[in-house]
Amino acid sequence: MTELASFTAQKPITNRRDNPGMLSRVANSLYWMSRYIERSENIARLLDVNLQLMLDFSDLNDQQLKEHWVPILCSAGDEETFFKFYEKADSETVTEFLTFREENPNSIISCLFSARENARQVRDQISIEMFETLNECYLFLKSRNAREVWQTGAHDFYDQIKKYSHLFQGLTGSTYTRNEGYEFINLGKFLERADKTSRILDIKYHILLPSVAEVGGAVDAAQWQAILRSASALEAYRRFHVDDILPKKVAEFLIFSNTFPRSIVSCMRHLDEDLHRLSGKEQRQYKSAEERAFGKLLSDLKFMTIEEILNSGLHQFLQKVQAALDHLDDHIYQEYMYHPPVDLESEIFLQQQQMQQQ
Amino acid sequence: MLTDNYKTEDFFDEMFLEDGGIRPHYQKVAERFKLLDRSEYRRKQTAVDLAFMRGGVTFTVYNDDQGTERIFPFDLVPRVIPDSEWQRIEKGLIQRITALNLFLHDIYHEQKILKDRIIPPHYILGAKHFRREFMGFNVPKDIYIHICGTDLIRDRHGNYLVLEDNLRCPSGASYMLENRAALKRAFPDLYRSARVHPVDSYAAELRKLLQFVSPPTLGSSQPNVVLLTPGVFNSAYFEHSFLARQMGIPIVEGRDLVVRDAKVYMRTTSGLVPVDVIYRRIDDDFLDPTVFRSDSMLGVPGLVNAYRSGNVSLANSIGTGVADDKVVYYFVPQIIKYYLGEDPILQNVDTYLASENKDRMFILENLEKLVVKSANEAGGYGMLMGPWATQEEISTFREQILANPRNFIAQHPISLSRHPTWCNAEESGALEGRHVDLRPYILYGEKVSVTPGGLTRVALRKGSLVVNSSQGGGSKDTWVLNGDS
Amino acid sequence: MMHPNETPKGGADLPWTEPLLLNISHLTRYTYEGHVRDSFNEARLQPMSDSLQQCREFQFKISPDSQIRDYPDFYANCVHYFDVPDPHESLEVQAISTVQTIPENRGPVPVTDPGSIASSTIKEQFFDFLQSSEFVSLDAVVWREAIDALPSGLKDIWSDTVSIGVHIHRNYKYTPQSTNVNTRAVEVVKKKEGVCQDFAHLMLGLLRTHGIPARYVSGYFLNKNRLPGEIEASHAWLEVYIPGYGWKGYDPTHCRETDTRYVKLAVGRDYTDIRPVGGTFRGKGTRKMVVEVTVDRVG
Repeated sequence: MTELASFTAQKPITNRRDNPGMLSRVANSLYWMSRYIERSENIARLLDVNLQLMLDFSDLNDQQLKEHWVPILCSAGDEETFFKFYEKADSETVTEFLTFREENPNSIISCLFSARENARQVRDQISIEMFETLNECYLFLKSRNAREVWQTGAHDFYDQIKKYSHLFQGLTGSTYTRNEGYEFINLGKFLERADKTSRILDIKYHILLPSVAEVGGAVDAAQWQAILRSASALEAYRRFHVDDILPKKVAEFLIFSNTFPRSIVSCMRHLDEDLHRLSGKEQRQYKSAEERAFGKLLSDLKFMTIEEILNSGLHQFLQKVQAALDHLDDHIYQEYMYHPPVDLESEIFLQQQQMQQQ
Repeated sequence: MLTDNYKTEDFFDEMFLEDGGIRPHYQKVAERFKLLDRSEYRRKQTAVDLAFMRGGVTFTVYNDDQGTERIFPFDLVPRVIPDSEWQRIEKGLIQRITALNLFLHDIYHEQKILKDRIIPPHYILGAKHFRREFMGFNVPKDIYIHICGTDLIRDRHGNYLVLEDNLRCPSGASYMLENRAALKRAFPDLYRSARVHPVDSYAAELRKLLQFVSPPTLGSSQPNVVLLTPGVFNSAYFEHSFLARQMGIPIVEGRDLVVRDAKVYMRTTSGLVPVDVIYRRIDDDFLDPTVFRSDSMLGVPGLVNAYRSGNVSLANSIGTGVADDKVVYYFVPQIIKYYLGEDPILQNVDTYLASENKDRMFILENLEKLVVKSANEAGGYGMLMGPWATQEEISTFREQILANPRNFIAQHPISLSRHPTWCNAEESGALEGRHVDLRPYILYGEKVSVTPGGLTRVALRKGSLVVNSSQGGGSKDTWVLNGDS
Repeated sequence: MMHPNETPKGGADLPWTEPLLLNISHLTRYTYEGHVRDSFNEARLQPMSDSLQQCREFQFKISPDSQIRDYPDFYANCVHYFDVPDPHESLEVQAISTVQTIPENRGPVPVTDPGSIASSTIKEQFFDFLQSSEFVSLDAVVWREAIDALPSGLKDIWSDTVSIGVHIHRNYKYTPQSTNVNTRAVEVVKKKEGVCQDFAHLMLGLLRTHGIPARYVSGYFLNKNRLPGEIEASHAWLEVYIPGYGWKGYDPTHCRETDTRYVKLAVGRDYTDIRPVGGTFRGKGTRKMVVEVTVDRVG
């Protein structure tokens, strides 16, 4: 959308004096607070799992290390920015970049900082416990102790991050008032989760073209297991598929499973429900073309099979999902928060004065 | 007993008589506190402090980027006022705010009080907060000051005197409410038996008042009332969000509001919702970059002209600052006489104006004996406490007074009354006398009401007369009894 | 100091006494970087009506179209206000008026003792026009210049006003672009050059130092030396108060008293009170501002 076109989407003037609804800025902050926390948890899990995976393969050379870590870097961060700070991609550099590097807007510390900033803006909307949890997590990350813990036992470190996130989300579920804000928190969470699940699956795509000899080998199986672990899906998968870890089954599980709450379809279903609750429309009725398009994609997914996806290309399919999620994020912004946006510090100008010259 | 070694010294003490006896209205409180020992007292204090911290009843001090949250220290011993005393205070405060509202209307319209030479016009025209932009403005119900916090002190003889009026964005009402809640939890039986006038109607009264002053163009529809705050980084943000929640109104920042066609709207997820009344906790200077300070990021462009068009109401209105200028304070007794034809019920503290020649000579000759104040500073800043000041401070003030006499007033130091307050000095802890003042809150709406009690502020440092939170002050709950004892 | 539009003459420029009917157009056009929005503005572009001029017709046009409201400000100037919320790339504000100027009928200014302005009544009545203001601070630099301009102090208000004007004319140079819209009086004293806005501020500083109530005036004047098609700007001068007579206009740029060539828009303490067009908007900033003023005689 060009800048001008998006301006002309002028917001209607309503007359809802008695029930004004949520401030756009507050909705925006809640949404992003939620997204950033979910993001940091996912990165923590991703790094934890992959570090553990590396333990099993201690004699990889630089090239192999790079091949392993670069796709992870791409899924969670920015390859270009990475190479500004580091020369090679290995376990230590990539995990440091994605955990502590403040110049990386998607590092764990950056995400939690942003989450806390957003939470601060809406402090009187969220419960004290929610804010304190976030605050504690942030202070932990900033402390010298955090680095030490990370260096001596990365697993404990990432575990701690995940615990904070779980605590926060649990507190949200149990203490946050079920108002409009709750929908925005959930939209943020599920959108981020669906996106991350698709990216985790996509990592394997990059590693997915191994030499024929490796297919079905120990490395391959370990990598698929790591994919499941990264999505917190290993136990759930095993309960479902008693036999071996098969790539096709894993992909199917992470995309379609109705019982696994982190699957792409599960998340999308939540999103659809939340959108309906926000818009107040009945099921199968949509407020806008964008929401209808999203609903249609969800509907299509119900009838798709994993074979169809693999035939037309897993990577292409995942890209399509990510694009749809991107559009949805954009739409949520345009529909509920865009008025247009206000960044007063860089924006308000004095009309140039005319000097009296004659 | 915690007050075993209590000394009233040369001051008027709220609880104790000169001979050590207890004033009748403190009887019940004294009896209850007699039963407390140190550890129990400490336990109760800790419980209250913890509750305040958890509840976010704090104000924020920004030394660095982080900001530290501090509790406004709360002292458990309540200050008690018998009904008969309160009646007089209430009458005096109502008289004062009524006169000041009439004064503001006059100043921004015909200026009769200036034409009749009651106040030399240059004091008004030269007042920092006299807003020329506001001239000729009409406000709903002709009310300019909706919320006022007037600071009262007592002299050595126990007379109540007005120290100053705060009628721009007076703060502290939230502490008044939280202090009461805390004391009820700490001493439920004492509270019940004492029969104290409740204060929890404050929020409801304030909301009613805000609705009362909605723009006439609205007709009979329910107005949309919002609280405008500078934001989470403001030190008083706790109070803003507390009051908004108590009143059940949205709390907004400048960037949440937008003016279209001289009407104010708030940006919500369902579109632009009209705003009718704004309880603003932002000073005039920062309210509208188009009219006032153009570098203000806190305000709403176009707000003043929307106000001018009569499409939105502001509480308090613009331009009230001219009436809490300390120089105008000097003239309040004349203001009361001029508009109401009455003598003031509550007296001012005797004041000298540095811009008057005779007064100025007296001030300069006696700087080490006087308290000198800037006409427009708050929070205890811009003040010289002569008897306690260094030579350097005194000569700095001398220069400032000579450079800009209009900006200074002086008063003899008043021996503020004292009140038993917990002092944690050394290992022991005991109740000692500390200086206090009183800030009742007056709401001017369809009727004028004064919340019974208000905020008693106490200077926690021994001998200090400065009660402000930013400078080592604390607060107490204030009880107005339903009767005299 | 020679004003570029003035032909040097041997004698003083005599005041015009003929009543004039003048058509005035004042156009301000802002062009922005990209689009801007939420523009809130005030304009003081309506000529006033008093004993020396009558505004016969007035039109105020804005593009993009917008609702215009008005109110009288503290100095009784008519202020128009309007906002343009939607995105726009440029803003045009045009004021078109027809003004009838009226010759001075009070007779010449009598000799007036400075004692008459020393009274507290005058000091109070004209408080705003005797104090330091945003652009005109009555500090040591200005004070020294005021003493230089009038070494023996005040003897007669009007003739001393003219003397101060002559002092400025002799010691200051009219130099466009040597200053900007934010230049303060104290800087003008140091620079010894400027344009009409600066001379007005400067002279106000000198007059006020001597205790003469004086106010800033913004407006236009009929420039008989204007070439056809030449674009002008608005003009600044001042008025002093003479007890027993009233306000009398003086133009320091042309070193003369005002006459029927002059049309007043607004009065105030200094430029801040009379801004022709001002306000705020949201966006990336102004790329260009163009001001076009034409003052033509009718008939």
